[in-house]
Amino acid sequence: MIGRLRLAASALGLALALVPSAHAEPALPPPYAGAYQPQGVDEQGLWRQMDEEERRFAESDMVIRDEALNTYVRKVLCDTVGQDRCGATRVYIVRVPWFNASMSPNGLMQVYSGLLLRVHSEAELGAVLGHEFGHFEARHSLEELKARRSGTDVLSWALVLANLAPSYDMVRAYRDLQLTIIGNFYRFNRDQEREADGLGIRYLNSSMLRPQAAAQVWERLMAEFAADARAKGLKKPRFDRIPFYSTHPPEAERAATLALLARPDAAQRDDGATRYRAALAPWIPQLLDDQIKLNDFGASEFLIQSLAEGGWTAPLWHARGELHRMRGAPRDLANAATFYGEAVALDPNHAEAHRGLGLSLLKTGQPGPGQQALRRYLTLKPDAPDAKLIGMMIPQEVPAP
Amino acid sequence: MRQGFTLPAQSGKTILLLRPAIKVSEQSTGGLPEPRAEWTDQARAHIDAALVEVQRQLGNTVIVAPEAYGEDARRVAEHMALFGAVSEAVIQYQFFVGNRLPTKKRDNKAGQFDWSLGPEVARLPGADQADYALFLYTNDQYGSTGRKMLQIVGLVAGVGVTSGVHAGYAGLVDLKTGDLLWLNADGQMGGDVREAEGARKRVRQLLEDFPGSAIPKEDAAPTVQPEATP
Repeated sequence: MIGRLRLAASALGLALALVPSAHAEPALPPPYAGAYQPQGVDEQGLWRQMDEEERRFAESDMVIRDEALNTYVRKVLCDTVGQDRCGATRVYIVRVPWFNASMSPNGLMQVYSGLLLRVHSEAELGAVLGHEFGHFEARHSLEELKARRSGTDVLSWALVLANLAPSYDMVRAYRDLQLTIIGNFYRFNRDQEREADGLGIRYLNSSMLRPQAAAQVWERLMAEFAADARAKGLKKPRFDRIPFYSTHPPEAERAATLALLARPDAAQRDDGATRYRAALAPWIPQLLDDQIKLNDFGASEFLIQSLAEGGWTAPLWHARGELHRMRGAPRDLANAATFYGEAVALDPNHAEAHRGLGLSLLKTGQPGPGQQALRRYLTLKPDAPDAKLIGMMIPQEVPAP
Repeated sequence: MRQGFTLPAQSGKTILLLRPAIKVSEQSTGGLPEPRAEWTDQARAHIDAALVEVQRQLGNTVIVAPEAYGEDARRVAEHMALFGAVSEAVIQYQFFVGNRLPTKKRDNKAGQFDWSLGPEVARLPGADQADYALFLYTNDQYGSTGRKMLQIVGLVAGVGVTSGVHAGYAGLVDLKTGDLLWLNADGQMGGDVREAEGARKRVRQLLEDFPGSAIPKEDAAPTVQPEATP
């Protein structure tokens, strides 16, 4: 029994030694160089699989195909990582109202529309795109596949070997090993994210954009999470702790590191906020509409307020009205009417604001001005899809018999 | 198979083949699929060739869907995704009697098979030249040497280790109405798709109940595997 145990224990020791697998490979050309072709059986496999996925993904209905917006986002990526690098990627803007972007090993980059709503300048967008490009340049998917594979290999052998000597100690040793390997895997993932953050800020440092913007992205995101928690009556979330299963480093750590790594003498550079606002202006109404429909009052209110730091506009007032009207408590409707009022004061031809104003006023017992606003809506947009429905809320002048 | 649908042998129908979804990987010792580009390419070539051959034996012509652009390409992508969703529902809820959807329970008493992709399929590129559309999906993972070693040691240790995954399904859709006419799915298929002969065997198995077919049923599972995975 003891002999068996020792054998199994030494097998476990061997297994542990294998986990932090060191890769000593000949240097490959960077994956963005020229028309790079994947090297080695694993990289070729991953790329081919993603190529097949991309065939379908490129035709997906979730992709926003507007040419101007796509050209603009692509230009920000190229301005950040440089013309020599960005040619290796295809950027797809996906209509998903969350803060995220992702990168596939073959150069397919997904940018969620929710990210476009949450960053305020070219430099901030470039910080996130640069981070994703860092994953691509450092071949993180491939490294992750290898790490995952060696981890699960060891674990499977340990399971089978531990079963040869199924004692209490053995079970405990196996569970310890399991936790170690799983923990190691998440740590590996977090370290990849740290590396990508490092690469991302390096691109920004050597670009024409202001690298200090990278930390701002995370600071604003933390503020959004805090506002959301506050609105839900939850405890303020902790941004400095690393949970066992977290795939990314904590936000506070990322903000602090990025602030530290940003070139101090570049702080005076232009961050492209004005250009960004101009390019995104036609999209803000739709992006806000998608966000409001998440039914996440605290976060949506925070996002509208933070966009309004650059000045309130009719679409922002309208979105705020929609947010409050959707929640629909009587006090929300009173607030919504005020916000819609601000919107039509700024832009008297904003049809949807007249619609929201009319509906809110009708519900708060002011049929006169409410119907007037609805009439204005129908005049501005006679072929609106809900024209007949709205028409029924307005008393028609009955022609004399 | 959909009720009332018959396709007599040698009826000379034209079948539109949409790009088959083919995945071939190696299964690592720990059971992870490692995608293999070369195997996938071989499987795609062999399966395409085998399909044409098997359908010719049935008296049907296979035409490959033309390359689509713009709106057409999006329609194809949407219908491929829709077929995936519908066939998953059929496999989940129709093939297993105890697992019927509440809304499909009454229909199923008569042994009905009533699923459809909708009449929009008629607007797929190439649909005007064909009678039916054939969708095909295969997912293969071949056990690595390490996986097989683990399996052997596992046998001694009393741990069930499976090696390899070989799943596939194929479906036939009426291009006029969008009705799903026939669907065959198998989680343990035979035939090594990386080779021409194996791919022919796989295609024969996928099409073994194909309407109007006289392909004799074969024993699908090559070896009996223990069912547990670590």
